[in-house]
Amino acid sequence: MNDLMNAVVDIRDLHKTFVLHTIDGRSIEALRGVDLTVHGGEHVALAGSSGAGKSSLLKCVYRTYLPTAGSVLLTPRVGAAVDLVASSDAELAGLRGREVGYVSQFLRAEPRRGAFDIVTRAGVFRGMPRDEARDAAADALRRLNLDESLWDVHATVLSGGEKQRVNLAAGTISPPRLLLLDEPVSALDPANREAALALIADLTLQGVAVLSVFHDLDAMSRLATRVVLMRDGRIAHQGAPAHVLELLEGVAR
Amino acid sequence: MTEPNRPDWMLKVEGLGKIHGAPDRRSLHDTGPEHGTSKSRLTGSVVAAWNVSFEVAAGEALGVIGESGSGKSTVMRCIAGDQPATAGSVRLARVGDGATEILDLEPAARRRLRVDELAVVYQDPAEGLDLRVTAGGNVAERLTAAGWRHFGDIRSRASELLSRTEVPLERMDDLVATYSGGMRQRVQLAKALANRPPIVLLDEPTTGLDASVAAGVLDLIRNLLEELGLAAVVVSHDFRVIEMLTTRCIVMHHGRVVESGLTDQLLEDPHHPYSQRLVAAARS
Repeated sequence: MNDLMNAVVDIRDLHKTFVLHTIDGRSIEALRGVDLTVHGGEHVALAGSSGAGKSSLLKCVYRTYLPTAGSVLLTPRVGAAVDLVASSDAELAGLRGREVGYVSQFLRAEPRRGAFDIVTRAGVFRGMPRDEARDAAADALRRLNLDESLWDVHATVLSGGEKQRVNLAAGTISPPRLLLLDEPVSALDPANREAALALIADLTLQGVAVLSVFHDLDAMSRLATRVVLMRDGRIAHQGAPAHVLELLEGVAR
Repeated sequence: MTEPNRPDWMLKVEGLGKIHGAPDRRSLHDTGPEHGTSKSRLTGSVVAAWNVSFEVAAGEALGVIGESGSGKSTVMRCIAGDQPATAGSVRLARVGDGATEILDLEPAARRRLRVDELAVVYQDPAEGLDLRVTAGGNVAERLTAAGWRHFGDIRSRASELLSRTEVPLERMDDLVATYSGGMRQRVQLAKALANRPPIVLLDEPTTGLDASVAAGVLDLIRNLLEELGLAAVVVSHDFRVIEMLTTRCIVMHHGRVVESGLTDQLLEDPHHPYSQRLVAAARS
């Protein structure tokens, strides 16, 4: 597990400060020096109360937020490691997709595209031949129990839970080397949630490096190989899920 | 790989600038975001755009966002050749392997680029189309300019283009003046793409259309960019358009670029005070 050769992402002293010019130039420190390494085949779940910096960390790695200081060293499939913080916008756009993926809580619904089309295009975007992507999209949507009669319906009209499953299917088809999951099952009922968790568990078996945020401890304890507890923009504890979650439950009680 | 000398961008713009009135460089000292104006008190000139630089690769769309008067359309018009630029450089990968200075070309050569290399789609279809001519005739005109001579070939390529941009073929021989706004935009797209240019500049392509019509045109543009692997520059004041079509963008204010970045980053984590105000206004 600690084999550095297998490190997919190595985060060093990452800081993020927001300066809000519209509110008297107030500044908010979201991350105050985070060090974290995630290896291939490892699922690291971020825990902590809201405002602890979990989502900020995911967004800084994907660079939806531009980090203020520090480095995020990604080892791509081929070639030398790249610092995502220092990469040009064009380089980063190229790494998104095959190397780094981000699955948000909500599907950014595309007005005139159906679920099957959205998932197929995601596969093609990550380098799959179209036929293969179509087969994989069908497999993923079936696996997530999305009724086949909804596959060609424009995704904007789907329910919240249906959209979330389309989003997860699109984000995990031909998975990237590093996958960032931000509350990907929050809107699902128990049966669909089970199917989604099983699909996410398979990613770890396939060697994908996963960095996730789940609000429920059950998902974390079942999926994570390591749990990282964040507090005030820093890592407070990390370790085996049972150990960290015990700490968390102690706090909750 | 067969063309080792060709750069990895399709369009490269460096230090582009446009001053209306006397091209007096002193105008630069009291204009721009920090002065809250693009009009110089010192010289009376208007610095519509200054020091604008970016590259766009094949299959990539770059957004230019800002309010009206920010200089975004000026940038587009200087690249297209509708207005002479005061300063800077514009190069295209397929013209002289990226070494030719487009701004120095003769007007005829410049016009020729609009047919083969660099198409433009305007907010107002009347700028890109002749409304007194049929849809088919408009597309045919562009094909003729590209050297097409055989009537049957022209007719079939025009039909192909119009059906691709979802113009009902039974209306192909109607005057464009009889078309709705959304349909005119579709004809403008068909004409712009007629001779397969690798670069397209889109200036507020859906502004002024009804919401449902705009969504359809936007969707068509997105599919065309993806399928044809075009290098695109999308000028818009509308974040929805920028978010849907582009991966990177620049923000303009009072003629200057105040921020550039990945589109999702600019929307979620804007840094410049002006970008923050713009995003906050769009979200409210």
